[in-house]
Amino acid sequence: MTAIGSSSSMAKPLLRATGVVLLTAMAFLLPRLLGGTSIAYSTLTTIAIFAVMCYGVDIVLSYLGEVSLGHTLFWAAGGYAAANLSVKYELNGWATALAAIAICIAAATFLGAVTLRTREFVFSLVTYAAAVVAYEIAFNWDAIGGSDGVVGISALTLPFGFATYSGGTQEDLWPIAFILLLLTLIFIARFRRSRLGITALMVQMNPALATSLGIDQQKVRLAVFVISAPVTGLAGWLYAYQRAYVGPDMFETYFLVMMLTAVVLVGRRILLGPLIGVGILITQQNLLSLGGDWNKIILGSVLAVVLIFWPTGLVGLFSRFGKNATSAVREAANKFK
Amino acid sequence: MNITQQIVNGLVLGSGYACIALGWTILLGVARLVNFAHGQLYMLGAFVTWFAMTKAALPYPLAILAAIVTLAIVGVLMQSVMMGLVMTQNLTSLMIVTLGLGYVLQGGSALLFGGNPQTLPGTLSRAKVDLGTLWFTWQDVLVLLATFVLYAAVWLFTKKTRFGSIIRAVAEDPKLAELFGINAKVVYLLVFVFECSAVALGAALVAPRSPILTSMGFNEVIMTFVVVVLGGIGSIGGALAAGLGLGLFIAFFGAFIAQAYTTAAAFAILLTLLVIRPAGLATK
Repeated sequence: MTAIGSSSSMAKPLLRATGVVLLTAMAFLLPRLLGGTSIAYSTLTTIAIFAVMCYGVDIVLSYLGEVSLGHTLFWAAGGYAAANLSVKYELNGWATALAAIAICIAAATFLGAVTLRTREFVFSLVTYAAAVVAYEIAFNWDAIGGSDGVVGISALTLPFGFATYSGGTQEDLWPIAFILLLLTLIFIARFRRSRLGITALMVQMNPALATSLGIDQQKVRLAVFVISAPVTGLAGWLYAYQRAYVGPDMFETYFLVMMLTAVVLVGRRILLGPLIGVGILITQQNLLSLGGDWNKIILGSVLAVVLIFWPTGLVGLFSRFGKNATSAVREAANKFK
Repeated sequence: MNITQQIVNGLVLGSGYACIALGWTILLGVARLVNFAHGQLYMLGAFVTWFAMTKAALPYPLAILAAIVTLAIVGVLMQSVMMGLVMTQNLTSLMIVTLGLGYVLQGGSALLFGGNPQTLPGTLSRAKVDLGTLWFTWQDVLVLLATFVLYAAVWLFTKKTRFGSIIRAVAEDPKLAELFGINAKVVYLLVFVFECSAVALGAALVAPRSPILTSMGFNEVIMTFVVVVLGGIGSIGGALAAGLGLGLFIAFFGAFIAQAYTTAAAFAILLTLLVIRPAGLATK
């Protein structure tokens, strides 16, 4: 159920690779298949960006089992880096992305190192406090935008030496968001099989075993937290270009609740889980919206209900129903024998 | 800016922090539970008080009572749905669930009370006391006195009564406590309801000082974290001392360095402390 390395499809690597390539191509053409309107492009771009944002939290929550409530800080840091560097210094997309990654790694290293020797909930508490404090600083510090934020961020430019890709419209931004999402998925898939990923899972599932194998749990926690930060940061970086505006609203609880809900909704430790979760939640908010306050109630309730009643997420729910259905069919078949 | 006035301001601020943090101290220290909806509960307490006074025209003491009762009911509801997680001590899920429920409270309160900032009508908070160059309001005196009385009562209750030792037994080992005929679920429920009622009382006392908004509560949460960690997790006397100390620090920091960055300064204190003494100041 945890779906780490589904071994059944490994038997036919060529078939599997073809399937992945086909699915990827279909996903890339999805906005065109949905009519190619600018709303289709902007909604799917938003889903891709938010999914990347959620994968940062996914790394910490699913594989390490810790709760980071500070990823809005990295999300905003990415956005603020893109906004300030592109507006004030007219740097291109590569430079702002590098800066976003560097800032996120520095912030995560600092927070992780400070909370290294504390108990688990103190880590959550400090990350939560860090995001609130960063909000206060962003709101009051006029040099990086202050309470008005940074307006008029120019189109994202990515020079390739011979040519420059420019993401001026939602349609132009879609390929960039898609590639970012794809790279993130590859990163997560590799992380799951990496030494660090496996060690993190061991620390979560069986801390005693990890210690007896000579694993320094604090170091593993710090390393996983640090690599998770730039993932969310890069999502914030692209979000800044998509909205052409960055302000203190990037610290809103909405993003935090969104990240956590998307990760737990489908089920933890499932590669595509956060992406599908974000897809469901954004579709509800864009197409079946009941207004801002009601959407808050829905999002918060989904988060609470899933964790209280179906801790394994929708996947766990379906497999439970699936099991019931199969056993019911079997019983019925036995009766007819 | 005179120093004595800043000390008065610090005590006024600090007693407010300590008052709001009391519920969390008990919840975390005595029952080992966390509640990230604390800030939203503070907001709700303030808004129920405001609603009772302006819309239902209740006098201030009755409005406080209304807030306490409403929040106690909210507490019973929250704890009832979370009981499974509480009994299995699933702290990771509890943190996220309380955060989600806090978000629900925020959305629900915005629907009920509207998105505009409101002010609690208070005769006490307008009644100024002038002592030479010093000044404070009667509301401040009320908060200070109420905080001391509450902390003394809670300290006596947890340390000197049989129910206090029952709570500590449940926190230590819920399964074992049940073997001795203690109903751990009821104990957890009562502690959680106490947390909600205490924050309602804190909100009703402290909120008249400034305008209230349904999106507020974050600042109060950070100050509560700092008070609880600074005081040593679960130490009642420590929390009171930490609250007053933090109030004094914030008053001086705000007056002489930067008013806008007081939360950041409190956070810096928290981080420094975590590096020096990861388990809090009051531990051995």
